[in-house]
This record gives sequence, C-alpha cells and structure tokens, in this order.
Amino acid sequence: MEPLLMQADQLPQWTALAPALALGLTGLLLILIDSVDPDSSRPALLAGIATVGSLASLGLAGWFLSAGTGQAGTGGGISLFGDALVVDGMALFFQALFASVTALVVVASYDYLHDHPHRAEFYSLVLFAATGMALMAAANSLAVAFIALELASLPSYALVAFLKRDAGSVEAGLKYFLIGALSSSVFAFGISLVYAATGSLLLPDVYAALSGGVEGLTGVAAVGILMVAGGFAFKTASVPFHFWAPEAYEGAPAPVSAFLSSASKAAGFALAFRVFVVGFPLDAGIDWVLLFQVLAVVTMTLGNFAAATQEEVKRMLAYSSIGHAGYALIGLAAFSGGAGGDVLGASMAHLLVYGFMNTGAFLFVALAEHWGVGRTFDDYAGLASRAPMASVAMSVFMFSLAGLPPFGGFFSKYFLFMGAIDAGFWWLAAVGAINSALSLFYYSRVVKALWLNDAVGEFELGSTPTALYAAIVFAAVATVLLLPGFAPVIETAQSVATTIVP
Amino acid sequence: MAGIFDFGPAIVLLPFLSFLIAVGTALSGRDLLPKGGAIPGIAATAGSLVLSVAMAAAVAGGEVYDETIYTWAVGAVPGSDGLELTFGLLIDPLSSMMLVIVTLVALLVHVFSLGYMNDDGETGLPRYYAGLGLFTASMLGFVVADNLLMAFMFFELVGLCSYLLIGFHFREPGPPSAAKKAFLVTRFGDYFFLIGVVAVFATFGTAQFVGTEAAPGFPVLAEQALAGEFTANTFLGLGTEAWFTVVGLLVLGGVIGKSAQFPLHTWLPDAMEGPTPVSALIHAATMVAAGVYLVARMYGFYAVSPTALGVIALVGGFTALFAGTMGVVKRELKQVLAYSTISQYGYMMLALGAGGYVAATFHLLTHAFFKALLFLGAGSVILAMHHNENMWDMGGLKDKMPVTYYSFLAGSLALAGIFPFAGFWSKDEILFETLIHGLDGQPLLLVGYVFGLLAVPVTAFYTFRMVFLTFHGDARTEQAESPESVRWNVKGPLVVLGTLATVAGAVNLAPVRVLTGAHVDFLHAWLDGGFSDLTVHHYAEIDPYSSAYIGGELTTVLLGAAVSLGLALLGLGLAYRLYAVPEPVEHTDKLGSAKDLLYDNYYQDEYQVYLANRVVLPVARAADTFDQGVVDGAVNAVSSVSLFSGSRIRRIQTGVVSNYAALVTLGLTALLVVFGVLGGWLL
Repeated sequence: MEPLLMQADQLPQWTALAPALALGLTGLLLILIDSVDPDSSRPALLAGIATVGSLASLGLAGWFLSAGTGQAGTGGGISLFGDALVVDGMALFFQALFASVTALVVVASYDYLHDHPHRAEFYSLVLFAATGMALMAAANSLAVAFIALELASLPSYALVAFLKRDAGSVEAGLKYFLIGALSSSVFAFGISLVYAATGSLLLPDVYAALSGGVEGLTGVAAVGILMVAGGFAFKTASVPFHFWAPEAYEGAPAPVSAFLSSASKAAGFALAFRVFVVGFPLDAGIDWVLLFQVLAVVTMTLGNFAAATQEEVKRMLAYSSIGHAGYALIGLAAFSGGAGGDVLGASMAHLLVYGFMNTGAFLFVALAEHWGVGRTFDDYAGLASRAPMASVAMSVFMFSLAGLPPFGGFFSKYFLFMGAIDAGFWWLAAVGAINSALSLFYYSRVVKALWLNDAVGEFELGSTPTALYAAIVFAAVATVLLLPGFAPVIETAQSVATTIVP
Repeated sequence: MAGIFDFGPAIVLLPFLSFLIAVGTALSGRDLLPKGGAIPGIAATAGSLVLSVAMAAAVAGGEVYDETIYTWAVGAVPGSDGLELTFGLLIDPLSSMMLVIVTLVALLVHVFSLGYMNDDGETGLPRYYAGLGLFTASMLGFVVADNLLMAFMFFELVGLCSYLLIGFHFREPGPPSAAKKAFLVTRFGDYFFLIGVVAVFATFGTAQFVGTEAAPGFPVLAEQALAGEFTANTFLGLGTEAWFTVVGLLVLGGVIGKSAQFPLHTWLPDAMEGPTPVSALIHAATMVAAGVYLVARMYGFYAVSPTALGVIALVGGFTALFAGTMGVVKRELKQVLAYSTISQYGYMMLALGAGGYVAATFHLLTHAFFKALLFLGAGSVILAMHHNENMWDMGGLKDKMPVTYYSFLAGSLALAGIFPFAGFWSKDEILFETLIHGLDGQPLLLVGYVFGLLAVPVTAFYTFRMVFLTFHGDARTEQAESPESVRWNVKGPLVVLGTLATVAGAVNLAPVRVLTGAHVDFLHAWLDGGFSDLTVHHYAEIDPYSSAYIGGELTTVLLGAAVSLGLALLGLGLAYRLYAVPEPVEHTDKLGSAKDLLYDNYYQDEYQVYLANRVVLPVARAADTFDQGVVDGAVNAVSSVSLFSGSRIRRIQTGVVSNYAALVTLGLTALLVVFGVLGGWLL
C-alpha cells in the first residue's frame, strides 16, 4: 500500500518536502528581490520575508507532525526520489527545530545588521543553510547526506565571514572553511569506502549489506564508517573536529554564532542519528557505540573544562556548546539496538530545548555587541540594572543550560541521563552529571556578573532594539514553557525516534 | 448530590480566610478592622462551629464521608500501582467530634482574647489574630485529614503556628526563646514522624486512613498483612509485625513531641510564655491534642502491634505521674496548669496503649473543656492581677471574682477527678480499662495502672493547692486586694466552659451502664458508628487485650471508682489542710532537696542541654570538619583540577589553523588505530 500523506492522497508526495522547500524558495525570493533592487532601502521587508518564510516552514513542519505525516499512524516514512530522501517524524521534528532557530535568528538580525549594506545576502544565506539542514534531516542516502551537508556548510562559511571589514570575522571564516574542507574530504572518503564495501549509497541497503557480512572488506567498511563519523563530528563540533568552533563562534556575528551552534549542530546530529541508526548495524566491524561513548565523554569534558577558564562570554558559550554536543552524543553513545529509540528521542528533545536556550544566550551576546558593552564577564557587570528584562532572560538561559529546574534544560538533561541509565550506561550519565555540575560554575558567573557585580563604568546603551529583544524574550519564554510542556515533546521525539530504529 | 459534607473544606477555610484578612490588615499597617481583627476570627470560628455541629448531626444520622479533594502528585513506583499524594476529607464520628471541640474552644478563645488582649491594650493585634486563625485552620485541617501525609503537613503547620504565637511578645527575652524551644523539641519528634510517613508509604503504598473496599487504608492493610492476605514491604530484614512496630514507634515520635510526653515534654512548660488564650488553645484543642488525636486516628494500625501499644501505655502512665509530681511545687499559676496538661495527656496515652480507645477519646473531650476553662480562668486572674502569675502573691480572690472562681472551681474539680464532674468519668474509665486489661495477664498495663492511680492524689493535691492559694485565704498583695475587674468577654467563655466541665461527663456514663444496664454510654455508641474498620468493636477485636475482673464486672467498676475517688479526695483533703488557711506557708519546703529536684523538673532541661552541648555539638563539629575538609575538599580539588586542565586545553587552541588541521588528522588517525585494533581488522 502506498504510504499516505494526510488522511488521503490529497497532496502529491513531494509536498512532504514543503518545510525544506519553503526555506529554499524564500532564499531564492530574497536573491530575486536583491537583484531587482540591489540597494534595497527596505530592511523590514527583507527581514519580514525571511521571517515569514521560516515561520511558514515551521508551520508546515508542525502541521505535518501533528497530522501524522510520515509517521507510523499513516503508513510510515514517505520515500522520495528513489529513496534518496525520506520524510518521517524525525525529519519533521528536526525541520521544526531548524525553522524555529532560523526564525529567531532572522528576527534578531534585523537589529544586529541595522547599518549593514548586504542584508538580502545575509538572509538568503541563512535560509539556504537552513534548507541544507532541512535536507540533512531527510537524507536517506549517503550522497544526499554529503550534498545536504555541503549545502548547509558553504553558506555558513560565508556567514561567519560576513563582517568582511572585521578581521576577526574574516579570519574565523577562513579557518572554518579550511577545517570544513578537511572534514568534508574525510567524510567523502569515508562514504566512498562504505560504497566500496557495500555497493550502495542508500542507507537501508548499506545496512542490509553490512548485516549480511562483507566478505574480506570488513576493514574497508569500518574505516569508512569511522571517517563518516568524523564528518559528523565536524558538523556537531565534537572532539577532535571541534577546533573550528571556538574561533568561528567568536569571530562570527553573534546571530550567526547562535545559528551555527544551535541549528547547524542539531543538523549534524539529525544526519548522524539517521545514518548510524538506519545505515550501520551495531556489528559492522567497528563498535561505533563505543566510538561515540569515547567521543561523548571527551567532548563534554573538554568543552566544559575549557569553558570554565574563558574570560569572554561568547567564547565561553562556544565551549559550552561543545560540551552540549557531548551530551547530545549520548543519544548514540547509549544506543542499544531495539530499545535505543528512547535515548535517541531524549537526545532529540535535548537538542530542541538547546535550540531555544542556546540561541537565546547567543542573541543576548548579540544584544551586548549591539550596545557595544564589551566581551568579557567583567564588561557585563551590573548590566541587569540597565536591561533587567534581557538579563532575566539571560539568567534563564544560563540556568537552563546548566540543567537547573524550573527550566526546560532540566527535563531534557534528566531524560537524557535517565535514558543512558536505562540503557545500562550509568557511568555515561555520571560523567554527564559531573560535567553539568561543573558547567553551573561558569554559567553562574554570567548571572553573577549581571546581577551581583557593580558596573565598572557607565553604559551608553542607546536605543532598545525591539526585534532583538523580542527574539530573546521569546526564546526565554519558550525555555521556561518547555518545562511544563516537555511531555508532548519527549513523547513525540521518542516515538519518532523509535520508528527509525530498524 | 450536594450534602452537608460538601461544606467540609469550609470548616478549614473559614479560619484560614480570617488569617488572610488579619495578615492583609497587618501588612497594610493601618487600623482597618475594629478590634484589631478579632471580629473576622470570631465570625470564622463561629461559622466553622456551626458547620461542625451540622457535620456531627449528619454523622449522628449514620452518614460518613471520605473523599479525595485534590491529588497533587502521582508517581510511578516500579512493581506497584503507583503512589498518589492527595488532600482529602475524612468525616467520621471521631473527626466530627474533634471538629466540634476544636471550633468551640477556638471560638471561645477568640472571644476571650477580646478581653485578654484588646482590653489590655496589646499591640500587634492583627498579627495575633492572624496567628490564631492559622492555628485553628491548621488544626482543623489536621483533624479532617484523610491520609497520614496530609495529617503530617497540617501537623507541621500547627507546630509553626505555636511557634509564632508562643513568641508573640518577641521583644521580651523569654517568649522568643520559649518559642524556639517548642519548635525545636517538637521538630525533633516530628523528624521521626516524617520518616514514619515515608515508611508507611514504602510499606503499604498508601497512607489513607480509611481508603475504599478495593484499596483499603494502611491500618486495614496492616491487619490483612498480619493475617497473610496482603504482602507489605518490610525493611531492615524485620518480620512483618516487628516492622509495623518500628513504623508505629516512628510515628509515635511526632506524637510524643506534640503531646508533650516524656522525654519530649520540656517545651510545654516554657510555652507558658505565650499569651494565656494561646495557652488555652494549645493545651485544650490544638497543638497538644494533635498528638493524641493522631494515635486515635490511626488506632487500627497501633492495635495490631502489642509492643507499640505497650510503649504507648507505659510512656503515658509514667508521664502522668512524673509530670504531676513536678506540678506540686510550682509557684506560678500557669506552670501548674502546664504540668497538669502533660500529666492529663499522659492519661490519654495510657488509655490508648491499654486498649481504651473510647476512654482516651472521652478524656480528650472532657479535658479540652476543663483545661480550656482553667486556662481562661487563669487568664482572668492574671488580667486581674496585672500579669503577676505568682500564686503566692494572690489569695482571697474568691469573693472579688465570683464568676471566675466558681467556673475555675468546676474546672479544678473536673481535673482532680471528683464525682460527678466531667474529669471523674473519663479518668475513671481510663483507669478501669487499664485495670481490666492489665488483670488479664498484662503486667505492663498493671504498671501503667499503678502510675495512673498514684497520679490521682497528686493531681488532686496540686490542683487544689492552686485553687486555695489563688482564691482562698487572705489577699497577700495589694493587687490581690483590689483586682482589676473583667468584662463579659472574659466571663462568657468561662461560664460556657464551666457548664461543660460540669456536665460533659454525661456523654459516657459507662459505670452507670454497668450498674443499671441502661445504655447511657453515648460516646461509646457514637464511636462505634461510621466506617466499620474504624469502630470501637473492630478495634477491640484486633487489639491484643481481653478483660479480666476482680470478682465480676460490677465489683471491679465499683472498686476502681471508689479507689480513684478516694485517692482524689485524699489529695484534695491534704491540700485543704495545708493551704485552705488564711496565711498559707510553703509546705513544700518540707520536702527538702526533693523540692529542688521537683522544682527543677528532675533536671530534664539540664540533661537535654547537656546532651546538646556535649554530644550533639561535638558530632556536629565533626560533621562540619568532614564537610569542610573531605566533601568540600573533594569539590575544590575537582574544580582546581578542571580549571588547570581547562587552561591547558586553551593552549592547544593556538589560533594557527595548520595546527588544527594536524590535530584533527592525528585525532582521526588515533581513533582509526585504536578501533582498528579493537575491531580486529588492523594488525
């Protein structure tokens, strides 16, 4: 029987890609407007179009999710283009996440770029990168995975270097690009080795071939798998492919840092979850669960340790984002075959909550950059007296990132660690818990600086950037509401994750 | 169907509302309410009283009520149906009786406070009435609680309110210290209670007192567990019955603290620092009564544990005598009453431990009336004496304050257990029940009986020593010559309570029933109604006692009554000989060093302070050292290690992109080698 979209075949199958298409078409539309009217003096129109496009994508993804498109209830995932793409619950979940972050970033950028000449390019680059991420979530073939990853990466390089008169931004962009090129080559090499061993690029076929045993080519397949994992480690900023992250996040415009550290990282995980769970069986010549355990522990420990010694808030957030990649890796590190859906879903839910709280935190940095208050913890001292609302929001993000109740980050971490314990990896949860305790140290430094320390000098804050403020407050509200509203999120995440487990 | 029981929550909420009004007034800082907030309190307690009486009428009509109102937490527990934490209402004969007592006494105390506090020009009245309102509400919430956890929560609220009210005059040195002591000592007991609550949940998976047919409450489950029909979780490797005893004793910790039983009774005499109406409330209807009520409430659980019953009986009997002896030498009016309270609650515990469920409840009822009466009477005297409480400065008040005198006399006769006042009937029933159960081969109960019996003349002696010193003889000071007159709002409550203290014994004339066969033991019949698992005859079936008599039931009844009445009259007579003279002297001085021992309460406070200073403090210091050194040391070590390694990690991040590329490649290679070796395809 044909899989159903909605109740009946009311819509053609390809419309299941609508969330990704909405993002891509909006990007094209922005370029079109820019070529017709290169000196557009209507920034609100550009930002508005980008916002509407990302919200439309979010709406479509949310609609499909609630209508059960591509989920078990309506006949399972929808395969398109010769199985190269698959739209299922997990793809839609991540597409909703990307669209949310994109919307927040686009809204916030309106103020951040208030005197910048190339706004249309900026918005279209963001949307193209988001399109790439949306396709990463739906990729069912290694070739598509590579293309989608590049589609997400290339605009990102440009975005990091977007402030082209700023030496830091340009340098960060170049470093990001170079490490990205290296990682892409590792990834592409890995794909070619897997193809050599299995004769297919389609994930289910790869799975079947590897399960059947690849006579004499086990080593080839294993090296391929490890290199593929390297590609994902780059995208998710996991050790040892993390070196670009602190530099890129620090040099990039803060909204771009938010975008990269939240959406781009989540996209890497979306792809990694699908490729490893659907494509590589547990006994494919390499114990990839052990590999991810090593990566998870090293990544979360290194990220948190390094974050603890930073002087600059943005760089601290960059390392903390590496630490969170370590937490999210638990989804794969505690994966145990049939029952692995729960921990995978917990990881997805954590990435969703993280999408809001981390984006919000970087947007607060964007606000501080907009006001020009400086970059270090000390520069933030006493800011709460001038910007109480934003400071409350920032405190919410910090405590939520540390995993304290009553914020969304508490439950997402709780379920993640519980998932690890249920899967028998209590030590993984223990390492995560110790790292979370350590992270409270540097997160609370921000809160302390904002609220308790006295200002060193006078602030000249100037006007209140409405759009940036709105994005920050919205992210804070979402972070708080995700605590009481966590039940549907985790249920959705775990049920869609369970369906992809072969 | 909307019935009277749907108004149940209002009984609790009305005083709570008066609390909120008083708090609001206090916060506003303006004198918004007439009488400093007394009126809302009086109205609220009067409303609660009316509702309580209506409840009692409905219960008399055979109705009972047990409903969960709000489930505030549901938890999944592996291997069981899960745990529900709820608030609910349980209205049965016991709780409806207690509701009437509490609301009546609270109402009278509110009215009396008009005279005691308002007319005396006290400041901070809204705070005072806020405390009274919350106190009443907490106690009522405790009374109607349908599960142990809810009972515990309100139990704690009661403790908090007593702290607030005892320390009402917080600018003086005594009250805050007494308040702290009351809080800490009862908290010590409540700690065990809390563990007991958790233990009950862990053992039975429910803390409901009654429950339903399908999911019965924990007392019934305990009974079933002992009969082998239910598997309770036991811990510490104990058998079912031994574990139930442990749980029962844990909960009993809270009871001993709240009901001021030995050895946690030390807070109560100091609590006299609170305003006298508060003392009346604490002693008669709220705080102290809560402990005994709790045992009665979950009596089915204690009834299946002979050891726990034995402990209760022995603690109660001992406390009755022990506290009574200390009351003999006190100079201050309220101090005597304080020790009499401890002693009387000892009687109730003795009764509960001896299987005298009705007797204990009966004494709880009569004691509530006569002790509230005595405290309010004492308050009236204290008002008249301008807050001089020393009985040796009084004398001769009989003719100047006749209303106070006669009502106080009625209360004293009841307390001393003189026929036919209320206290006689209830105390006699306690002793009778203890005796007949003790005679049937329960030597422990016989010991308790002897304690109780010895306490009778002591009680009569100190009670009438107090009466004679205060009201009889010649006035010994100027204040006693011309006492301040008191108004209707003091006399009214005294008259009401005086009447009750005289006639309340009529609700359960058990000896008369034995004599004549007439069914005049109404309280017995009352408590035998309601939920079948909570009835008197059910308790009698499951408790470990049976009865034996000295030459037949009638003879035993008469003998017991005669002995206790005779002893009471003996004590009274002695007090009359020594103190009912125009110029009494301190005859207790003849006791010599024994007097000092008694006056210093057997050095109970001293040894408790010694324990705190010499045992607890060093242990606390050691724990602090451990915490600072080992725990914090470990944490600090972790933090310095992580900061150090963090700074090392920073150095890897050189900023040179070719280094990064090299590190990435090296990292990947290392992973390839390790996993290649592990996977067996390399080497």
